[in-house]
Amino acid sequence: MKRLKSILMVFTGLLSVTVFNAQTKYTKTETVKIYGNCGLCENTIEKAGNLKNEATVDWDKDTKLATISYNSLRSSKEQVLKRIALAGYDSDLYLAPDNTYADLPGCCQYERAPKTTVNMEEPKMETAMGNHSDHSIIADAIIDNNQLQTVFENYFALKDALVNSDGNLALEKAKELLIAINAIKMDELSSEEHIVWMKVMKHLVIDVKHITETKEAAQQRGYFNTLSDNIYQVMKVSEQESPTYYQHCPMANNGKGANWLSKEEAIKNPYYGSQMLSCGKTVETIKWF
Amino acid sequence: MSKNLKWLMLCIISFSAQFGYAQNTVRYDLTITDTIVNFSGKAKRAIAVNGQIPMPTLTFTEGDIAEIVVHNKLQESTSLHWHGVFLPNKEDGVPYLTQMPIQPNETFTYSFPIIQSGTHWYHSHSGLQEQIGMYGSLILLKKKDDPTFRKGIDDLPEVPIILSEWTDIKPENVHRMLHNANDWSAIKKGTVQSYSEAIKARHFKTKLGNEMKRMLAMDVSDVYYDKFLINGKNESQLSQFKGGDKVRLRISNGGASSYFWLNYAGGKMTVVANDGNDVVPVEVDRLIIGVSETYDVVVAIPTQDISYEFLATPEDRTKSASIYLGNGKIQLKSRMPKLKYFEGMKMMNDMMNMDGSMDDMGMDMSLQKMDMNTVMYPEITGNPKMKMKEMKTDNEMDHSKHAMNADQNIVTLNYGMLKAPQPTTLPKNAPVRELRFELTGNMNRYVWSMDNKVLSETDKILIKKGENVRITLYNGSMMRHPMHLHGHDFRVLNEQGEFAPLKNVLDIMPMETDTIEFNANTEGDWFFHCHILYHMMAGMNRVFSYEKQASNPYLPNKKWAYKKLQAESNKLHFMVENDFATNGNDGFAMLQNTRWSFGTEWRLGYHDSHGYETETHIGRYIGKNQWFMPFVGFDWRYRKQNGEVEKNLFGQSNTKDQRAVLSLGAEYTLPMLVKLQGEVFTDGNVRFQLMREDIPISPRIRWAFMVNTDKEYMTGFKYIVTRNIGITTHYDSDMGIGFGATLYY
Repeated sequence: MKRLKSILMVFTGLLSVTVFNAQTKYTKTETVKIYGNCGLCENTIEKAGNLKNEATVDWDKDTKLATISYNSLRSSKEQVLKRIALAGYDSDLYLAPDNTYADLPGCCQYERAPKTTVNMEEPKMETAMGNHSDHSIIADAIIDNNQLQTVFENYFALKDALVNSDGNLALEKAKELLIAINAIKMDELSSEEHIVWMKVMKHLVIDVKHITETKEAAQQRGYFNTLSDNIYQVMKVSEQESPTYYQHCPMANNGKGANWLSKEEAIKNPYYGSQMLSCGKTVETIKWF
Repeated sequence: MSKNLKWLMLCIISFSAQFGYAQNTVRYDLTITDTIVNFSGKAKRAIAVNGQIPMPTLTFTEGDIAEIVVHNKLQESTSLHWHGVFLPNKEDGVPYLTQMPIQPNETFTYSFPIIQSGTHWYHSHSGLQEQIGMYGSLILLKKKDDPTFRKGIDDLPEVPIILSEWTDIKPENVHRMLHNANDWSAIKKGTVQSYSEAIKARHFKTKLGNEMKRMLAMDVSDVYYDKFLINGKNESQLSQFKGGDKVRLRISNGGASSYFWLNYAGGKMTVVANDGNDVVPVEVDRLIIGVSETYDVVVAIPTQDISYEFLATPEDRTKSASIYLGNGKIQLKSRMPKLKYFEGMKMMNDMMNMDGSMDDMGMDMSLQKMDMNTVMYPEITGNPKMKMKEMKTDNEMDHSKHAMNADQNIVTLNYGMLKAPQPTTLPKNAPVRELRFELTGNMNRYVWSMDNKVLSETDKILIKKGENVRITLYNGSMMRHPMHLHGHDFRVLNEQGEFAPLKNVLDIMPMETDTIEFNANTEGDWFFHCHILYHMMAGMNRVFSYEKQASNPYLPNKKWAYKKLQAESNKLHFMVENDFATNGNDGFAMLQNTRWSFGTEWRLGYHDSHGYETETHIGRYIGKNQWFMPFVGFDWRYRKQNGEVEKNLFGQSNTKDQRAVLSLGAEYTLPMLVKLQGEVFTDGNVRFQLMREDIPISPRIRWAFMVNTDKEYMTGFKYIVTRNIGITTHYDSDMGIGFGATLYY
């Protein structure tokens, strides 16, 4: 029994020696510059760089120098710096993604070296997007003599605010929409427009007023549903230079379905915001050409 | 005389080769060998071609004659399939369908004229060889005087890119584990979606609702991979490019089962071709490339002395692979945030009917335009965790203005945006053949099928040369499937009218309906299948066979060969488990295929008074969801307890001491995935039993219980330590409390 114990002791002893050796033999230490500002940065940088049994990082906020110790069998300086860059901090090897940098707390937004952008020659490719630019030139001409345009523009701004689930912004946009609605000179509308406008104007005002009374996007959406249907009536008879898409989401309005208008064909659902952004389909394209 | 004739023939052949056709024969020699690789830190077996993984890039120009000589130096048979290439059926490379397998030490020559251009790839079509190295790029260039040559695109510098994944587990074993609903992959990925995780995420009700609807935890992919690779490397650099350059990446997804998100750190990407066919260029922020699809993407390097990361992220977002374009400091792209699985589960609950069918709520989904998984994407829907943190630290902040990384303006490619540069309409006067398939399957037993039939349950589908075949596909399963047609491109009917894009792989998401059509213009037997390797091997395949086709010299006995092909995708899978506990041994062994189950359970005590018993069941699964299984059984038990007679709930008596009876019964999966078993024995006894063995309490802890009308009951816990070992404790009405270790395979 005693013998067993001593054998065991020796064995453990040997084992720990080899482990210890391995640690010193393969541990490499390097000092590198990592861009950053404050104590908060220090936390983030070290947390991103440290990895159990692989690497430890010690960053000094005054010198901006980091001491990186790593096990050269398992890790490398590159791997450590890559992790740190992905947390938002540039080094001489890696640049952090722009959006990650932008999400850093204000005090951590260190000054970044400017990039020297090359002047790319104009693309010769005809992109699918490119075709649209032609339309907008014709567009400007017609806008001026269509006073309903401001109503529609403000409606779209309100819709976009709801797509972003931004109740405050929606409230602001609704106020502007109300002003635009009240500013319509009915006698200057075409006769078709005039008839429809008389029919829906009262309802438009009621819905928009309700929207201006709350900051809750959920409540605003209830009124936005009927508002959209009425705006649709107007848009059907009002000549537009670019197509408008009448879109439908069967899940909105507690499963009863609801519609909205959009200038883009791609679905961006104002009733759910980011939750169900792409839910819906275009049911009608309103075009005048 | 015959000698003279031969000479004459030779002269004519060489003459016609040089002057008659002026065609250029391009020859490649491919030697296939076993190899050992180390992608993950462990040395594992793989297959190399000419000593490399991926296989070498083969380049041809339209008009060439391809001659590819395959030397099989493996211990097993092999084959090579030219994915997306128009060729005579006998060169298509599907063993038992278009040729006999290439046997060990055999040399086989594939030879076909190149009659198209574009980015394609090639891979083994034998077993699971594609998973362990047999994939490579196949680039077909346009001729310089091609009327469709696009200046500014077709003359850019280009790089073939082939994406793939690596697992340390042998693919045969991966396949077996999938069929056995082994959740080791989920544990490694952190996607078990257990009750403890559900409670933490405040989604207990969601989890409960999910199990009520008899769903196992859903993931966007099935297999855990140790490494993801671009051109065989996890990270690499293309330092030949500099600021101001534009580069065309010819990307093929050679992964066996992974979809990849493609993102680029240097700005937008312009998609210029798909599945080897030009499309009208379209700018996107990101795209997902389905298994076996190809996309050609043009990217720019905007800055001098900075290289930009091109990032491929598997759909489950566990890891990624990168290639850096340019030289100098590396501009990284942010990693895709982890999926919010419980949001996805909630969505699934809403869409799933109690009978296991799905309800799209009238949304007519198609062409990847409405990605229901979006609810799981934090980069689009915002990150709830971050929001909570922020609220704690700063109460006065205006939360609505903070989108938290969430960007709703990300442009993601979908099939609706693809437009062919030329009209792609089919011959107008050809007869139209309409076909419809529902993609079906169930995750619990990893059965994947079309119209609830696997290949071994269907004959070849006969089509006539010259007709236009129009196929409507509806995906009624809960996974997406990349459906691939051999030897033809099909039109994907979208809003582009006569400019509908041409493809040979169609990714179809759950609940989507898509229509594709092609002109049947090349006779032969053509495979149509899901390109997720493990779905294909589970039988999600069909064969389109031209009526009255000429015989295939490489496959003399087609009838016999088709039987072999059918058998390959409906093999029996073995699983066994034994709990070595202080109060006895508990275990089972099972052999199963698509429909049949041969299983035996045992409980073996350590002495006669605890007894020994086994129950053997041979059953057949019925229905799409396979919740119902009638079976015949045989029970045997022996126990020494002095003839004590037990009575069951129905008052029937039963000496448990020695019994050997046959039985007839059925098993049905109830909501909450509880299995109800009813059985009538030849001695007239009846038994009902409720049981569930895999309730996920935490990522690694499973709770089991059983209760039956013989007044027997059992409850226990298992902690999963490794892929094959668990620690258990359970209480059994016959044997009392026990602790032990479970080994399972």
